Amino acid sequence: MTHTEIRQAEEAQSLFTEAIGNAGEINELLRRYGVKFGIYKNGVFKEQFFPFDPIPRVIPAEDFHLIEKGLVQRVNALNKFLFDMYHEKQIVRDGIIPEDFIYLSKGYLAQCEGITPPGEIYSHISGIDLVQGKDGAWYILEDNLRIPSGASYPLIARELTRIACPGAFAQHHITDNRNYAELLRDTMEHVNCGGIRAILTPGRYNAAYFEHSYLAELTGAVLVQNDELFVEDNKLYQRTYNGGKTQIGVLYRRISDEYLDPLTFYPGSVIGIPNLMEAYRSGNLGLINAPGNGVADDKGIYYFVPKMIRYYLGEEPILQNAPTYLPFYDEDRQYVLDRLDTLVLKDVSEAGGYGVVFGSDLTKEQLSELRDTILAEPRRFIAQEVIDFLDLPILDNGRTVLRKADLRAFVLTGKETKVWASGLTRFSRNPDSFVVNSSQGGGFKDTWVLSR
Amino acid sequence: MGTISLEHSSRLYWLGRYTERTFRTLEALQGLYDKTIDDTAAYTAYLAAFGLPDSYDSSTAFFHCFLYDKSNCDAVAYSLERAYDNGIVLREAISSEALSFLQIAKDTLKRSEHAENILLSLLPLKDTFYSFWGCIMDQVYDEEAWNLIFCGKSMERLMLSLRLKAPYAEVSRIFQKLCRRLRFVPEGTPYRCDPERLEKLTAYLSSETGYNMHTAQAIHELERIFEVSP
Amino acid sequence: MKQITFSYTTKLTFDDDVHDHSFALRIIPPDSPVQKLLQYDLHITPLTQYCQTVDAFGNHVISGYINEPHRFLDFTIKGRAEVDLSQSRTDFLPCYRYPSELTKPDASIQAFFADHRTACDSSDPAACAAFWSELLSDTLRYEKGVTCSGTTAAEVMAAGAGVCQDFSHLLISFLRLHGIPARYMAGLAYCNGETHAWVEYWNADHWEGIDPSNNCPVSENYLVLSQGRDFADCSINRGVMLGNYTQQMQLVRSVLS
Repeated sequence: MTHTEIRQAEEAQSLFTEAIGNAGEINELLRRYGVKFGIYKNGVFKEQFFPFDPIPRVIPAEDFHLIEKGLVQRVNALNKFLFDMYHEKQIVRDGIIPEDFIYLSKGYLAQCEGITPPGEIYSHISGIDLVQGKDGAWYILEDNLRIPSGASYPLIARELTRIACPGAFAQHHITDNRNYAELLRDTMEHVNCGGIRAILTPGRYNAAYFEHSYLAELTGAVLVQNDELFVEDNKLYQRTYNGGKTQIGVLYRRISDEYLDPLTFYPGSVIGIPNLMEAYRSGNLGLINAPGNGVADDKGIYYFVPKMIRYYLGEEPILQNAPTYLPFYDEDRQYVLDRLDTLVLKDVSEAGGYGVVFGSDLTKEQLSELRDTILAEPRRFIAQEVIDFLDLPILDNGRTVLRKADLRAFVLTGKETKVWASGLTRFSRNPDSFVVNSSQGGGFKDTWVLSR
Repeated sequence: MGTISLEHSSRLYWLGRYTERTFRTLEALQGLYDKTIDDTAAYTAYLAAFGLPDSYDSSTAFFHCFLYDKSNCDAVAYSLERAYDNGIVLREAISSEALSFLQIAKDTLKRSEHAENILLSLLPLKDTFYSFWGCIMDQVYDEEAWNLIFCGKSMERLMLSLRLKAPYAEVSRIFQKLCRRLRFVPEGTPYRCDPERLEKLTAYLSSETGYNMHTAQAIHELERIFEVSP
Repeated sequence: MKQITFSYTTKLTFDDDVHDHSFALRIIPPDSPVQKLLQYDLHITPLTQYCQTVDAFGNHVISGYINEPHRFLDFTIKGRAEVDLSQSRTDFLPCYRYPSELTKPDASIQAFFADHRTACDSSDPAACAAFWSELLSDTLRYEKGVTCSGTTAAEVMAAGAGVCQDFSHLLISFLRLHGIPARYMAGLAYCNGETHAWVEYWNADHWEGIDPSNNCPVSENYLVLSQGRDFADCSINRGVMLGNYTQQMQLVRSVLS
């Protein structure tokens, strides 16, 4: 650690003594409330408690103000892009985005062409991953517009940290983040086409089952599985135990697009609902998020988001992307090949922290192998400069150490687009790792957004 | 509310049954533990009441198996796991608060396995269950859902009381309670009583003599009380 | 211009009761500058309510749900339509230029393409289509039972034989390798008593039809029931049902006159 880093760690230690002192209790409470995520190890399902670090990430009010404006802008542009993609495709006609990046993307679903979702909203819940550089600037790392997960963890953690360290909350001006349920309920109600609110889960053995059931509890939505649902007269119904049926007007579905409707997408899906897409197309059902959003959060499309903001909104992007190159473009390809050993390469078809390679970790042979793969399939990759992350202090066996962390901000679009004054701060436990995904062994911390 | 699915209704019902089974098994074992102080073979009568073979070397082995062995379907640990399995998929219906008590119960039971004084270490478990049911009363606003849990609970309690040959006064009270619960079950659901069986059951349990003579038949009718087996 | 009458019937039979049966049918000929549906009758038994929508590719979708136990599903459409090849279809989607699940070229399709592509002029879609259709009729054997509805172009290439669906998938695969948008057409034609499949390719500003399994251009004797990127978008009948049935028999009969 450098001198400044040591100071940073020491400061955290003294500032958050209350939280650190009660770390054990908070983790015990999280355990008691079943804050878990499921993972499969060698084909066996296991539930793991999501490790919580007591030292919060603190975001000053002026930083958050900027993030908020930037994210609202970004998500509004992405929603306009999605509408354009499944209708007129003006941005492609105008040559801003090459056609290949749309139609070769796995996330583009031709079956969604021409469908206009209620309120023209595609991404109701957007999870935008950001990092802060050592220079203090925030960079967008990735957009998640399909079914971004993670909001429930900081939500329940706050409930418990306020119990464990009331002093800290009395002392600082920390924006209350427990309005997420209300935001989510409003977002769902805004596109409700008549009926009850429901959350569709693939079941208990899904990695995010805790989140599905917790959000259902907080929003008063009914948690459903496909076997109790059916589509009749192009309306979605829940079959009830007295032989009746109840119409569902909005479905927050936590299963992927391709499994959603076996009569439209993957025919072998056993977790989907036949003719769900017909109910949706007919305007009888709000689907959160819209199917087909993958075309806008593809790692390749990421490069074009600043261009979208200029194109659709006529504004300059408030938040910057990490410096990114597309080997698809000749001039970028040469740069990427020349500096392969210093860049991060991301395979656009992978998610969840997989398919990310740091050039500096590779041997000569691996580098030349990667070079060949890029030359063979230039569209498959994006390359980014390694950002000098601002590391965050975490508690490691009673000692404060610095680790890589990111921030997943949640942006909800209903009547208007709002940024939740919180977010999921994930960190890697491994000092050499940049990958913070929970599926890769990371933990999380509370995120304090200061109100002044 | 009309949003209870078939799967959900069965989860609610069995949550009631398994929490009650855990609680009553625990209670019976605590009573048995007390008797064992004077008579080390007291547990054999318990096994006999359920028609189970005595394959235990000692009362210690018996208690260990009936408290902690998750593979023994008559053990406290087994019922508690099943209660938790049902609870975990009912979080939004019963509340995170109520669910947390099942986690606490699991933790308490696990800790007691290595305690010096098992009886003392198990005491908080009963408190936890009372808290759990209190929480259900307090947090579950959907009366149908609420009633299903308590149908399961009363059903289990009556079943165990009959098997353990509880005093008539107790059985009679429990039966009345179950009848009140069953009256609230909506039509068209699998938890409606078969009226003929209910009539027979009522006849068997209407007097102490009837109860003493026909306990086995009463159990038989109770096991088949629903028109469709849930 | 030509007036044709058509009828199409499918009978699905199950060896045991099925229930919770959701289905989606694409059997109503979609209107276009080329074809107009003048009149039609649709019968579905067991009698059930159904809804009608138009999908992403312009097809009519009849969707329904049968909850009660049943052992068969029959549907019949009879009607009259007008076909006019002096007009042409112009509805376009860029996805028709890109590989789809069933037409994705593998290494052997790509090698075959590389071996022969120089023999035709990429800038002339009509010439390309005619060339590959001709080449396919020389290389591919028309034979039933070798392939099934889920067979991909790559598998057909390896098998060396197939039916109209497979000829169409391979032709689409080659045309798209040229960068020529192409799409799968499912419908009725004079030549056989089942459903037929052929291809449309994009020629500058409109679609033109070609029938690769007969190696001929389409005529006014072809009636479109549905269209899409490949067969998967055009299934006449897709369904999901519950029950202990082990087999499902399908009888199809179509008449065009």
